[in-house]
Amino acid sequence: MARSDALDKISGRAVFAADVAPPGLCHAAVARSQVPHARLLEVDCSGAVSVAGVIAAVSGRDLPARLYGRRVRDIPVLARDEVRFVGERVAAVVAETREQAERAAARVRIEYEELPIVMDAEAALAPGASPVHDAPWAYPGAAVREQDGHNLQAVFEHGSERPVLDMLAAAAHSIDEVYTTPSGHQGYIEPQACVAWVREDGRVDLWMANKSPYRLREQLSACLELDPAVIAIHPVAVGGDFGGKGSPMDAPLCIELSRLARRPVKLVQRYWEDLTAANPRHSARIRVRAGCDEEGRLLALHVDALLDGGAYAGYKPRPSATLHGLEEPAGAYRVPNAFVRQRIAYTHTVPRGHMRAPGSPQATFAVESALDELAASAGIEPTDLRRRNLVRTGEANAWGAVWQESRGDETIDAALAAARALPVPEGWLWGSGLAVYERLAAAGRTSLRLLPQPGGVLRVEVGMPESGPGGHSVVRQALARALEMDPDQIEVVQVGTDRLPVDDGVGGSRVTGTLSFAAARAAEAFAGGAGGVVMVLSEPHAIPMLTSFCVQVAQVAVDPGSGQVRVLEVLTAVDAAEILNPAAHRMQIEGAAAMGYGFACLEDLQVRDGRVWAANLGEFRTPSAEDVPRWRTVLVPGAVGLGALNVKSAGELANSPTAPAIANAVAAACGARVRDLPITAEKVYRALNPT
Amino acid sequence: MIVHFRLNGEPFDADVEALTILLDLLRSRGMTGTKEGCGVGVCGACAVLVDGSPVSSCLMPVPCCEGADVWTAEGLARREPALVDAFLEHEALQCGACTPGQLVAAAGLIADPTPARDIRRYLAGNLCRCTGYAPIVAAVEESLPRAVGEVPGEAGGGGL
Repeated sequence: MARSDALDKISGRAVFAADVAPPGLCHAAVARSQVPHARLLEVDCSGAVSVAGVIAAVSGRDLPARLYGRRVRDIPVLARDEVRFVGERVAAVVAETREQAERAAARVRIEYEELPIVMDAEAALAPGASPVHDAPWAYPGAAVREQDGHNLQAVFEHGSERPVLDMLAAAAHSIDEVYTTPSGHQGYIEPQACVAWVREDGRVDLWMANKSPYRLREQLSACLELDPAVIAIHPVAVGGDFGGKGSPMDAPLCIELSRLARRPVKLVQRYWEDLTAANPRHSARIRVRAGCDEEGRLLALHVDALLDGGAYAGYKPRPSATLHGLEEPAGAYRVPNAFVRQRIAYTHTVPRGHMRAPGSPQATFAVESALDELAASAGIEPTDLRRRNLVRTGEANAWGAVWQESRGDETIDAALAAARALPVPEGWLWGSGLAVYERLAAAGRTSLRLLPQPGGVLRVEVGMPESGPGGHSVVRQALARALEMDPDQIEVVQVGTDRLPVDDGVGGSRVTGTLSFAAARAAEAFAGGAGGVVMVLSEPHAIPMLTSFCVQVAQVAVDPGSGQVRVLEVLTAVDAAEILNPAAHRMQIEGAAAMGYGFACLEDLQVRDGRVWAANLGEFRTPSAEDVPRWRTVLVPGAVGLGALNVKSAGELANSPTAPAIANAVAAACGARVRDLPITAEKVYRALNPT
Repeated sequence: MIVHFRLNGEPFDADVEALTILLDLLRSRGMTGTKEGCGVGVCGACAVLVDGSPVSSCLMPVPCCEGADVWTAEGLARREPALVDAFLEHEALQCGACTPGQLVAAAGLIADPTPARDIRRYLAGNLCRCTGYAPIVAAVEESLPRAVGEVPGEAGGGGL
């Protein structure tokens, strides 16, 4: 059964935010800071106003001082007195055409008094560092307290540190290494985009590339002091998210501009703006200390992560403003003494946000590389070391979690059984590496409305956007199954925020789980009713503790002369329950592996001196069809899943273990241990030829 | 200046400035199947066929199209129903932002008369962040014209 949105997307008929054109539409462009940290002495828009076609030009002083954020509200709609990163919005222009608006924005004259910059997370937390914000603890929703000091966005600790350090000192074998990962961009093909229209009566219509419109409405309401009821967010296709499209981004500014222009306003970022000034992944420096006994049993694990959060904390959605993936690293293992610390610092760089399994690719690169290094120091084969420490059903993992079942062994077995060594070019060295990841199955809140139509057709209204994974098709499939209907008789349509009560949006690997619960409730209500309209609000509670294991085996060829690495194959074994749509499930796995490969070998935004240097998609290289290695995906079916559809999560599994699997393969091939991503020929060469 | 060319099989005239970009012209006329992604000719979301070859319309001044035969995804979806079916059958898409460009590149490849056709190399100018590429390559592989008795090969990765 094909996806319900496939034909519209193939033929170009699907409507994305940038395609929306209400009557009277005008266009906005933004003048951005050219320096990482400065006091704004003057922002002069008079040159912009004189450009043909310009309707309005505003600086921060022309608008009410307002802040937005997904939780911590610390992001100015437009900077007023101070700029904190290169690319921060300083002024905006509305004009009849986008070209006129851009021409005018280039004529906004900004006078800066440059100030010292906090370049990275280490500098931010060093004694005497200058504060990025005067009182970060005072922002609405702040996750830090005054006693945490300046320049922290979030801080998190789990476990008792002292016993862990004592155990490490006493362990037969131990390692202590630092792993670093750069900032990277989500790499969606559709840049950030919105269209806002403030009507004469104050109602606000919004079309936006955003994956959680119901939450967006709340965030806009808090920022703009508007009644949520006057904001209607209309459905559009979302051209890729991967964590980067969950914030208000430019919508508050676009709404203010529409209010001024009294017309609908479109604000679409050029891709260079998206790369340099949106919300890319946190760069990380993670120190891992691990110790085991003579038999390779893990005794203690200490993970200390310092992340660069950039100039604002507001792009993170969790109340703690932490990254989930760095709260329970190495969850696949039994570790009697484990401690993790996560600190996210404010710096004068682009504000960071979420990207597919936030924190996990960084954490998994560090911990799964460290396990191979520990295995080497103990003289144990790395997969054997993992098997000796995997959590079995009924056991608690490093953080005390006990799952209904634990299928790490089966997943490793499946991966190894399928692995076949591939040939390498003459003179190149071959290596294979393995890494393990696990992620809890999740489900959130959503609502559905079922409206019977003439001719036996059932129209289903959903609030959840479609950003790619195929959620709308899941609804159709689930209802067809539960109501014993022909799927072609079920028409799934996304509706605006004015039509349904709630939806948590896309994210956290919970789309299929959320819809599994919701569709079951809806089918039950529909079958129990008299065939009339049914609306259900699904809020799953007591979700069973189910995790999914994901084991990857990477094969590489390394040229010992140049250090060049070719990834020959990434084999992914996935612990799965029922799979609704095999093609969509496979794409979630392989698409994630492609992202993992990019993280491992290609992608780096090159944040240096307070600036993103990889400012176009030629410099920030996401993998092409020609770049990617061969994928093999092995399913390990038969697991217990969530809800009526018996499903587990898939979207954020296969991008986390890829980088350590490749790093471990490179070390196995040639002895070069690369602890700093991406793994480039230069780094491998230097590891092979130390000076 | 008035530029004359053929668009999706029909004569088309446009009154443009010398540096008006083809992508902007198409989108301003409601043909929004052609997308702006990177804006620098790397991602392929804005691909159109010009005289049979995929080009990045974000870099193409409209006057360079004088007399050319231009096809967008909207037109190709009508002209190449078998290719559309192959994309549907292999479910060769997720978010859809790159998909019209992938269709354009695929249409360019299947009409390419040169015998050596490395699908992955040909599609390297069309980035996709969702799928991992295998279903797109499989859809194109199946759509390539082939000799009698030849069967589609397995769509493996590039790697080497």
